[in-house]
This record gives sequence, C-alpha cells and structure tokens, in this order.
Amino acid sequence: MAVIDTTPPGITNNTQAQECRAAWSLTAPALVLMVAILLLPVMVALVLSFTNYSLGNDGFDWIGTKNYDRLFSRSTYEKMFIATFTYVVTVVPISVGLGLGAALLINSLGRFREIYKTIYFLPVMATLLAMAIAWEFMLHPSIGMINQTLEMGCGTVIEAIWPFMATGCADGFPVWLGDKRYAIWVVCFIGIWQGFGFNMVLYLAGLTGVHRELYHAAEMDGAKSAWERFRLVTWPALGPTTVFVVTISCIRAFQVFDTIEAFWPQGGGPNKSTYVMMFAIFEKGVQQNLIGIGSAITVLFLIFVMFLTLIQRWLVERKVHY
Amino acid sequence: MTRDWWKHLILILGVIVVIAPFYMMVSYSFKSPGEIDRGEGGFFGRQELMIDPRCVALRDPSRDDIAAAADRFPGQSERQIRDALMAEAEVECSMHPVVFNYSKAFTEAPLLRYLLNGVIVTVSIFLLQVVVALPAAYALAKLKFWGREAVFGLVLFCLLIPVHAIALPLYILLAKLGLTNTYAALVVPWTISAFGTFLMRQFFMTVPDDLIDAARMDGMGEFAIVWRVMLPTAIPALLAFAIFSIVAHWNDYFWPRIVVTGNRDLFTPPLGLREFKGDGDGSFFGPMMATATVIVTPLIVAFLIAQKRFIEGITLSGMK
Repeated sequence: MAVIDTTPPGITNNTQAQECRAAWSLTAPALVLMVAILLLPVMVALVLSFTNYSLGNDGFDWIGTKNYDRLFSRSTYEKMFIATFTYVVTVVPISVGLGLGAALLINSLGRFREIYKTIYFLPVMATLLAMAIAWEFMLHPSIGMINQTLEMGCGTVIEAIWPFMATGCADGFPVWLGDKRYAIWVVCFIGIWQGFGFNMVLYLAGLTGVHRELYHAAEMDGAKSAWERFRLVTWPALGPTTVFVVTISCIRAFQVFDTIEAFWPQGGGPNKSTYVMMFAIFEKGVQQNLIGIGSAITVLFLIFVMFLTLIQRWLVERKVHY
Repeated sequence: MTRDWWKHLILILGVIVVIAPFYMMVSYSFKSPGEIDRGEGGFFGRQELMIDPRCVALRDPSRDDIAAAADRFPGQSERQIRDALMAEAEVECSMHPVVFNYSKAFTEAPLLRYLLNGVIVTVSIFLLQVVVALPAAYALAKLKFWGREAVFGLVLFCLLIPVHAIALPLYILLAKLGLTNTYAALVVPWTISAFGTFLMRQFFMTVPDDLIDAARMDGMGEFAIVWRVMLPTAIPALLAFAIFSIVAHWNDYFWPRIVVTGNRDLFTPPLGLREFKGDGDGSFFGPMMATATVIVTPLIVAFLIAQKRFIEGITLSGMK
C-alpha cells in the first residue's frame, strides 16, 4: 500500500495494529456465529452420538459405540441405508444425464431455446412440498391423472405389447405410493423431475465456454460423427462442470426429505422402503427424542457429505479433465 | 426446423412431464369437488354454481330467525318460511368453484399470516446474512491481519457443512435455550452463510485497492468503507445472492418442520400447506390445491419476470 510505505515506521506499526483490530472486529460476528452455529453443533452431535441423551433428562450415560453398533446391525437402519443409497445412486446419474442431454439438445437449437430452458427450470423454483402434494394427486390410484391416462391405453395394442399394461388393465394399476415395489422409485422420479433443470442450466453455462475452433479442429482430425465430436471435445471441456454438478446433485440427493415426509408422515413408506437418512434423523431425534441414535445418523451423514465435497475439491484442484 | 423435428419432439415430451403437476395443481384449484372426483371439466372446469354445504349448514334458521322473518312471508306456515329461508341461504351460499376454492384457502387456515411469516423469515434471514457476511468478506479480501488465513480456512471448512445435516444438534441447542417455536429459531441458524462470505470475498478481491485507499484518504473508517463504498459496488453480486437465499428459505420445509410445532402463528407457507393436507377430508382437494398455487406463485412469477437473474442466482453455487 503506497500510503503506508511513505509513512515513518512508528506510524506504520500503529496503522497496521489499527487495521488488524478493525479486521478482527469486522470478522468477529461471522467468526462467533460460525463457531456457535456450525462447528459447535458438529461437536455436540459427535459427543451425543456416544450417549443415550434425551431432551428433558438432566444427565446422560456414556454408552460407547452402542448407537453405531445398532445402526449397523438393526434391519430398520439397513433399510435406511438401502433407501438412501438407492435414491442417491438413481437420482444423481439420471438427473445429471438428463440435464446434460437437455442442455445439448437445447444448445443445438436455433429457436425456442429460452422457452424450453424456462419450463425445465420451473420445478427448481417451485416449493417442493407443494409439488409433492400435487404429485400425490397425480399418483392417486383411482382419480389420479397417471392411472387415468394409463387406463386409456387399455384395449389398444399397447396392452398386447407391454406386460405391465396387460396386468394393469386386468387387475388394476398400481397404488404407486402404497406399494413397496414402486414407492422408492416414485420418490426417485420426483427427485429427478425436480433436479434435472438445475443441472441443465449449469451445463448450458458450461457449453458456452467450449470454443467453436475446437470442433473444427476435431473435424479436421477426422472426428466426423456427432458422437466423436462429443467424446473428443464437448465431454472433456465440460469436465469441471460435471464434477461440480455431480457433487451438488449428490449432496442434494442425500438431503431428500420433503417428498418423503409429505407422502408418508409416519414411518417412511411401505415396509420402510423409503426411510431415508434425513427422515430417520427427524423421526428418531426430534419426534421420538432418541437423541443418541439421531446424532449417530447425523455424524454418518456429515461424513458422507464432507467426503463427497472433499473429493470434488481434490478433483477441481487437480483440474481433472477426463 | 424440419431437420430438428426429433429434437423438438423429445423436448416437448419432456415439457409435458415437467408441466403436468403444475397443470394439475392449477386446474384442481379451479374445479368443484365433483369434477375433481370424476376427472371432468377440462382445465378450467365448467364453473357451474355450486353450493357450499358448510355455509348452508351455518345458516340453518333457528326459531327466532323464522319468527323474525314471519312478516316478510305473510300468511305462510312456519315450515314454508323455513323452506324459503333455506332457499335464500342456498342462493347466497352458491358460488363458482374457483371462488369457493380460493376463498376457502384463505379462510380455513390463516394463509395470509403464513405468507407474511414467509416474507418475514426470508427477508430477515437475507438481511442478517448480509450484515454478518459483508464485513467479514471485506476484511478477508482487503485487510492484512494476523490470523486471516486461519479465518479463511475456517470459512472453507464451514462450506462443507450443510445446515440441514446438523439440524438435530441445532435443535437441541435451541431447545436448551428455550427458543423453539419462536421466529428466532426459524432465522438464527441461517444467519451465518459461509457460502455468502466466501462469495462476497471472491467478489471483493476484484475491487481495485485504489477505491479503498481513496476512501481512507477521505478519512473514512473501515466500518464506513464496508457500508458506504463496498456495499454499493457489490449490488449485482448481492442481488444474485438474495435470489439464492430467498428461494431456498421460502421453499424450505425441513427446518421449520423441526423447530415449529403446533404454533400456527409461526407457520411458514410450506408448513401451512402441510397442516392443511393433514386435516383435509376428501372434498378439500380444490382449496388445498388453491393454497399450493398461492404458495408457489410468487416465486414463479418473479422468476418469469427476471429469468436471467434468477438462473444466475440459483446456480450461483456453480460459479465457485
């Protein structure tokens, strides 16, 4: 700083000390809140996960790793892990794939790009809980739009070529949300429906950064087909976007809660098939006041999410273009 | 266009799936219960006058009413007067389904109160986030001080922690402080935005030092610099962050669900809708979808008006 360089040393020290004090008072509120609201709760969760604490009790007993043992031995929690990972493993690749597909299609169009973009982005903006209730009506076994649409296909060729339709027409179409074979997939579908527009927008932004010349160069090098051009130019150029999109989709998918709570306020779906981690934390920790077990789930959850983010940062720092 | 027909075909199929629940939500909010049950009436329903049974039941004439109305119907028996009064009630209680649905949405539950709460909570969260994050971001970007690297490292670490994930310990702390079921519980956990701090710090790095030096020459203190010099330069970035923050908290359901139990005066719009669903019987699909429409509409309309800004704001986290 030019001003400081020209001043005598005594004043420099003084100014520096002043700047230091000002800086600390400016960062103090943020610092205090970060510690109190973010770090302290992480510590609290970690400590309480080794206890049998309940709200309203004066004290608690240390019970070692019993909470964690329970998480890894009881079938309820096995179902919780299965539901959570099924959701994440389904929703992330499909919503990223659809986002990329939609972005590529829209980007290659001359007209109507903005309209498609706007419409696909609507679910990202809409209150998920309200849309979950709208979907619940759509999926209503008798008056819902989906089963009514499917019934229109009865008696046509579709019935002959698609076994699902044949059984549906004969014995009635599925009770989507009440059937353990379908429940988790319906929730996944809504997750994809809600999230792919977000990924699409990120990919569209990424695509504007791909240089035209690269395509010409690839064509000169013999990449004739559209697929070759995509594989050689577009996909590598979108590498950083993909890393980011996958991470954020994972973190969002891990946090699924609104749809599950709206559809099954008690107990996480038919046969606990949609008992995801956020719902388990809510049910065990808040509703049933089993803080210890809720904290243990919280700790595992944090480990998953932090691990994912660290992988992403590591990939970004290495500037991986695969 | 002709060459691209298959692309449009795929995209239009996508559009149908994306739009379907919105279509259904708005359409149900226009229809009468009968039309919803039978799946008739197209998008707007037939809008035939319907009679609100609850309204009629409320106006069931008592003996006093019949006696009071006796001079309006001279020479008729009590039974005839009663029937005439009922007929009048039915006329006054009949309305178009759309009016019925939306008026029920606002009268069955204090929807206006919920919307107001939503505004109070989202706006206070955003303002507090700015008040906390902006000075810190400025200090981290432009001031040299002992411990700066450590503080910035802490911000980066906090970026790893999603607030929803630590909801349980936060809830315990708030419960211990006796703060559950207050506005504070809805707002306080979100006042520190590590992401906002990080974002504003990155933005301030691009602001030339000369601007700050000039302000110092004019005798401004550091606090004045933050609010009178840095804040105005940061308006575009803040606007994007505002959209990011407001959309997230208007739509948030998880956190309010945890810290607000039972006290309707504190319900945010999603909680209100949830409660509506909880005690709704079959005939209340219409009003419920009207409620859902009312809750979803503000953000959607704002989005349609300022699409570019919204997309920029929501995907802000992608610009790291």
